[in-house]
Amino acid sequence: MNALAVELRKEKRTGVIPLLPAVGILGAVYAFLNFLVRKDALLGLPLAPMDVLLTQLYGMIMVLNMFGIIVAACMIYNMEFKGNAVKKMYMLPMSVSGMYFCKFLILSAMFLSAVVLQNLSLMWIGMAELPQGAFEMGTLVKFAGYSFLTSMPVLSFMVLVSSRSANMWMPLGVGVAGFLSGMALANSGSGLLVVHPFVIMLKPAVAMSAEPDITVVTAAVIETLLFLGAGLWMAKNLRYE
Amino acid sequence: MEYIITTEQLTKKYKNFVSVNNVSLHIRKGSIYGFLGPNGAGKSTTMKMLLGLTAPTKGSFAIDGRHFPEDRITILKGVGSFIESPSFYANLTGRENLDIIRRILGLPGDSVDDALELVGLEEFGGRLAKKYSLGMKQRLGLAGALLGRPPVLILDEPTNGLDPSGIHEIRNLVKSLPGLYDCTIMISSHMLSEIELMADDIGILNHGNLLFEGSLEELRHSAGQAGNSHKISEANLEDVFLGMVEQDNAARKQRARL
Repeated sequence: MNALAVELRKEKRTGVIPLLPAVGILGAVYAFLNFLVRKDALLGLPLAPMDVLLTQLYGMIMVLNMFGIIVAACMIYNMEFKGNAVKKMYMLPMSVSGMYFCKFLILSAMFLSAVVLQNLSLMWIGMAELPQGAFEMGTLVKFAGYSFLTSMPVLSFMVLVSSRSANMWMPLGVGVAGFLSGMALANSGSGLLVVHPFVIMLKPAVAMSAEPDITVVTAAVIETLLFLGAGLWMAKNLRYE
Repeated sequence: MEYIITTEQLTKKYKNFVSVNNVSLHIRKGSIYGFLGPNGAGKSTTMKMLLGLTAPTKGSFAIDGRHFPEDRITILKGVGSFIESPSFYANLTGRENLDIIRRILGLPGDSVDDALELVGLEEFGGRLAKKYSLGMKQRLGLAGALLGRPPVLILDEPTNGLDPSGIHEIRNLVKSLPGLYDCTIMISSHMLSEIELMADDIGILNHGNLLFEGSLEELRHSAGQAGNSHKISEANLEDVFLGMVEQDNAARKQRARL
């Protein structure tokens, strides 16, 4: 608990804490405005109203979330490397892997707040704008959980990459490359591509149904834990030279 | 004699370069140990190994009878350190930086003011660390090492970047610390005149090898016995040190030619 409190104090003036909720607000406003402007065109698609609400608006929201996660992960470790503060952390009686886990937790919690804000907006649109009786709360909650889980491999991967690079441009470049390659591969039918964390995050955005894909969810959970485990192991065993 | 830090054949190799070679140090409890050596001699690497920042390739060491990595947390609780350059969070003020360290060490709130006062930074505690001058950053790094007045201090060239009056101030502070509270200080510097004014014992490192360990008098004595060309009776530590390093370098060159 003390480690988490210390970590939160370190974030002061970095903008890491408000960044993801701000992305959440931006996504929520985008969904609201998009639906307001394109309501008739969207509801005219040959899809169930809930599928329209969740899958047709998610593409842009997902891109915002992805870049939010990439930038937040870069920032959360950049402040450790900027003044060489991480060296001091290695010389103090604290667990460096504990510090890594706290950073992961903070980003996860902030990202969850973004997903909640975005889905509150979708809920409001669903209740106010979808045809009478078409809105299903259960489907929305399930899709919110699905989109959160499928985003976690990118978050876990980006924290790992940024924890290993003193130069912030490195993880930022990896993030952009991940986004571009993910975009290129997301529509491919090959199941093997779910090993690519960015492809997993893109999966709900390219699907035509709001129904979660169990294979994608399983791969997302496994990858999140694998990247987290690798990051914790490296923080503990690779020393600061 | 009670030693608080001992190293046994401590060695650090990087691919085909030996940074520290079979170094065995003995640092007396309550003393100021001056660690001398030219740039690249392996002083910082030795200190980094003592703090667990880098792993030894061979050999071992003990701090207050405890060993790395099994006693890492216990060792670091009792060691204040400053290695190479100051480490700080640029987004936080000096006081906030020290507060982070204080919380990790579990110290009372007033220890931050105590540390700021010790290094003469109390009036700048509220300024962002990124806006500090080099000398102020150096002082902040020192304050981080002194926080909670740890029994062991490992300071790697702590006066780098300070102006002459700052050097004088920090030197006096380091000198006064064992009198202020019971502590042992290991301090490295390439400013030999500085070490001469502070240290009780001296270790001289060159190309990773420990050339000498003992008191200043013993150093003069051993240099005299070795037939050093310098006039030992008149020599200051700098002359003796340079003579030793030159002799070692000449011997290394000769070995390399054979």
